[in-house]
Amino acid sequence: MRRRRLAAVTAAVAMVATTSACGASSAGSDSGGTVKIGISTSLSGSIANLGQTGLQGLKLAIDDINKNGGLLGKQVQVVSADDNITPATGASNVRSMITSDHVVALFGPVASSIASAEEQVAAQYKVPIFFHTSNDASLMSKTFTPYAFQNVPNTVMEPRAVADYLAQQVTKSQPITIATFAPDYSFGHDTVDGFLKALKDLHVNFKLVKQEYPPLGASNISSYLSALVAAKPQYVFNAQYGGDLVAFTKQAASYGFFKDTKVIAMYAYAPLAALGDQAPAGAIGFDRAPFWAINNPQMASFIKAFQTKYGKYPTEWAILAYSAAQQWAWGVKKAGTFEADKLIKVLPGANPPTILGDLTIRACDHQTEVPEYVGTLSSTGDSQFGGLHLYEQPVFTAPFDQIALTCNEVQSMQP
Amino acid sequence: MDLASLVTPLVGALSAASSLFIVAAGLTLVFGALRLINLAHGSFYMYGAFLATTLAAWSAHTGLWIALVASPLLAAGMGVVVEVGVLRRLYAREHLTQLLATFALLLIFADLALRFWGKGVRGVSPPRVVRGNLELAGAPVPLYDLVIIGAAVVVGGGLWLLLSRTTLGWKIRAVVDDPEVLAASGVNVRLLYTGVFALGALLAGLSGVIIAPQQAVEPGMDAQIIVAAFIVAVIGGLGSITGAAVGALIIGIVETMGASWAPSWASTFIYLLMILVLAVRPWGLLGTPER
Amino acid sequence: MTMYGPSGVDVGDPSEGSVDPAETPARPPGRTELVPRLLGPIALVVVMAALGFLLSDNVLLTLQEVLALAVFATATNLLLGQAGLVSFGQAVFYGLGAYTVALGWLHWQLPFWATFVMAPLLGALVAVPIGLVALRARRLYFALSTLAFSELAYQLAESRYDFTKGANGVFGAFVPTALTYPRTGYLFVLAVTVASLLLLWKVNHSPFGLVLRAIRENRGRMQALGVNVYLHQLLAFVISGAFCALAGAMFVVYSQSSYPELLDWTTSGGPVFMAVIGGMGTFLGPAVGAFIYQFGHDELVRYVSDWQLVLGVVLLVIVMFWPDGLLGGLGRLARLLRKRRGDR
Repeated sequence: MRRRRLAAVTAAVAMVATTSACGASSAGSDSGGTVKIGISTSLSGSIANLGQTGLQGLKLAIDDINKNGGLLGKQVQVVSADDNITPATGASNVRSMITSDHVVALFGPVASSIASAEEQVAAQYKVPIFFHTSNDASLMSKTFTPYAFQNVPNTVMEPRAVADYLAQQVTKSQPITIATFAPDYSFGHDTVDGFLKALKDLHVNFKLVKQEYPPLGASNISSYLSALVAAKPQYVFNAQYGGDLVAFTKQAASYGFFKDTKVIAMYAYAPLAALGDQAPAGAIGFDRAPFWAINNPQMASFIKAFQTKYGKYPTEWAILAYSAAQQWAWGVKKAGTFEADKLIKVLPGANPPTILGDLTIRACDHQTEVPEYVGTLSSTGDSQFGGLHLYEQPVFTAPFDQIALTCNEVQSMQP
Repeated sequence: MDLASLVTPLVGALSAASSLFIVAAGLTLVFGALRLINLAHGSFYMYGAFLATTLAAWSAHTGLWIALVASPLLAAGMGVVVEVGVLRRLYAREHLTQLLATFALLLIFADLALRFWGKGVRGVSPPRVVRGNLELAGAPVPLYDLVIIGAAVVVGGGLWLLLSRTTLGWKIRAVVDDPEVLAASGVNVRLLYTGVFALGALLAGLSGVIIAPQQAVEPGMDAQIIVAAFIVAVIGGLGSITGAAVGALIIGIVETMGASWAPSWASTFIYLLMILVLAVRPWGLLGTPER
Repeated sequence: MTMYGPSGVDVGDPSEGSVDPAETPARPPGRTELVPRLLGPIALVVVMAALGFLLSDNVLLTLQEVLALAVFATATNLLLGQAGLVSFGQAVFYGLGAYTVALGWLHWQLPFWATFVMAPLLGALVAVPIGLVALRARRLYFALSTLAFSELAYQLAESRYDFTKGANGVFGAFVPTALTYPRTGYLFVLAVTVASLLLLWKVNHSPFGLVLRAIRENRGRMQALGVNVYLHQLLAFVISGAFCALAGAMFVVYSQSSYPELLDWTTSGGPVFMAVIGGMGTFLGPAVGAFIYQFGHDELVRYVSDWQLVLGVVLLVIVMFWPDGLLGGLGRLARLLRKRRGDR
């Protein structure tokens, strides 16, 4: 009996000793001329495309920075990790990147739930974090921290732009029937609520016939889909994205859904490329940064560089990640240091030049003043871009002032 | 409420029930004969689905048809390896040990799948001949839903025939009741166990192919399906094929109707059902109490 | 060739994870025997406390998580190893403990100290109805019932968006600032761990623990002797639930968050594996298993992309060839050596 307990205690002590051996030799400070930035994002699952292309955009940006002599004389290294669409994994990835890899900046995940987890960790350790994909408006209002920045149209702006576009299409006299279909987490709920509120504010005459919230990344949505089909709505506001949206479109097509219903969804480059000719003509699409609609020389050379490196056109996630990195680098140069507290004084209110243009980072909520793009999917493929069904021209570009909350409104929600 | 708005969810419910039945049938069969809960059943299902996507990508027209044969065979092969290599050594041990072993296999297979097929999501479209929909009482019904319902009927009927009309089926039913006597009468019980396990795996692989066109084929689908299969098998009665059919119907209807009327409570209700059955009648609606 | 078929007989296998009869004292130890027996554990505690001042922040944070899991695993083993009840649902209490702290702060601004104490109480309270229902099913069906409860809790947490914030989970400053520093957090968690393990040890080595083990060995005989088996198992379930909830509250010190995945069956499976790896038949086995499992997982995840494969293979090998787990195996080895020495 005593031997057994001795064995137990010995094993435990051995365990602890190994731990201390690992722990005592902690990771040293940055060697010589390199500095690290971290990105924990969704690299697997149905939304992997958003994380993967975002990472590609970030890497291209860092390559360009390093080619031009680095930042403040140092070469920049990207540390990346997969968050498995789980907030806890994202938070622990980020914590590990900060404490072990000593990253000086973080770039955001895909899902807003993970973003809010990472936002807390970043603030606790005082590391700036740039959200370029996850776009929940509460990230910059309810859970705002001075270390967070967002350059993507948020869950207030995006549905408002869509509502604006829809309001232009319908007549005020006839009521329209609407259903919503959104992933069951903060982004899905907030986007849908934002859309419905915006419709009300614009005095659109509508009737809500069905609301479905399938779990994010659920493999099988047939039961939700058949409920949606049975409700026979004229319009469906679908807040899904990436692989989920592609799956929805294909399955809905098997019900002949698009004959009588107009789907409004995030039909951007990646899902359109995946759908090819199955892209639902006449559907309403919205896109946060369509490469084919933003015309300026910086963007053009970026598109070419991206195509050379990755063999595909850049998704909006790649574009937004690249421009977020540009903002960070500009801020570092301006502040003359990587230190967070100095950086966060320089960026708010500034307008760093990026491939999206010289957009201002609003001081009250660190939101870059970006527009949202909405349009109707054309029935003919665009030969210039390999037969992709893009939006009919002119694409509706909702300006920032029209769709964003005012500074007063935002500040009233901030802690 | 008109008839049309009932038809779509009803067919949807039958289709969901059919999918659940085909998956759960193999699980419950293996438990019935081997008294083993196989968590890796979901892995066989997933491999069946992934193989279907590979074959469909390789040949757009015939790929899926080939997969209809290849996936079950692949799964059966995996089943044989698992039974002979791992499970055979554990029959004398407790349920927990067997459960943990199959969970370890689930992890191993999941990781290998990531190596073979990567982390992304794949999809297959139904074969051209069954794409699209038809009108039933004024409501659109996807043709593929009807295919799945048909497949469930075939599988169910086939299993019933096997178990009640063939010598093999008789042996399988006998091994449940009294393996020692069966062995004494000259039947190679070890081979029989391997065969039944392989059959269960084959059914899992088959269900993977059949269901693949209706959903996203991605990592994690093994863990997702195993819980659903469990609920169906438990409610129906572990070991009973008919029970699996009844359980699948109940869950299919609750799921689909629930998504229409009370979406946020549907999944909770399903688990409450399972708990209720386990508390009041643990061997399920159509199962037999353990000896 | 054996005639063994798959086991289906409703009697526990006595050779599986058994407790060495010498482990349970026939009489309480006298004072002169107490000091040498306590020396080992006391030394361990002192060493671990000292490490709080030596290790890097990153390791201390991981240790916080590991200690919470050690309590979780040991509490689960009260059911698994002692009572012979295989539960795949202890995550219900673990998650409940975590959510108590998180939601108490979110909705009612309750201070951490209050919710930390509430967690095990709520765990015990919730364990009563769950135990009453689940224990009606025997053995395998009990395991499935607890699994169903685990998934039920997970679904509830995910779907009640307004109350639990759904799939997002709850993130916020509900842990007092003092505990967010790795060292103080670690020392606090260590203190709670030592206290919890001490209490669980007392339970194991009480007459109640003895009865539990006897029920595990031969339920029928204990019932014939007039023991209320159901009540004893329920009590074990409640005690386990309370400590699992406490472990969940401890986990919050590390994660500063609570989320639905803490409730699902794969989280329930964790302490079961830890107990098996470390040895269900020993008291510290599950804690050792927790160390191995979590450290292994964290290190693997960073350097090896195939961590699932490694974990699966390790688990399979242990289950197949080393069923007593690490400590059980070491114990057997020690006994073997002792016997050899005795033979000479």
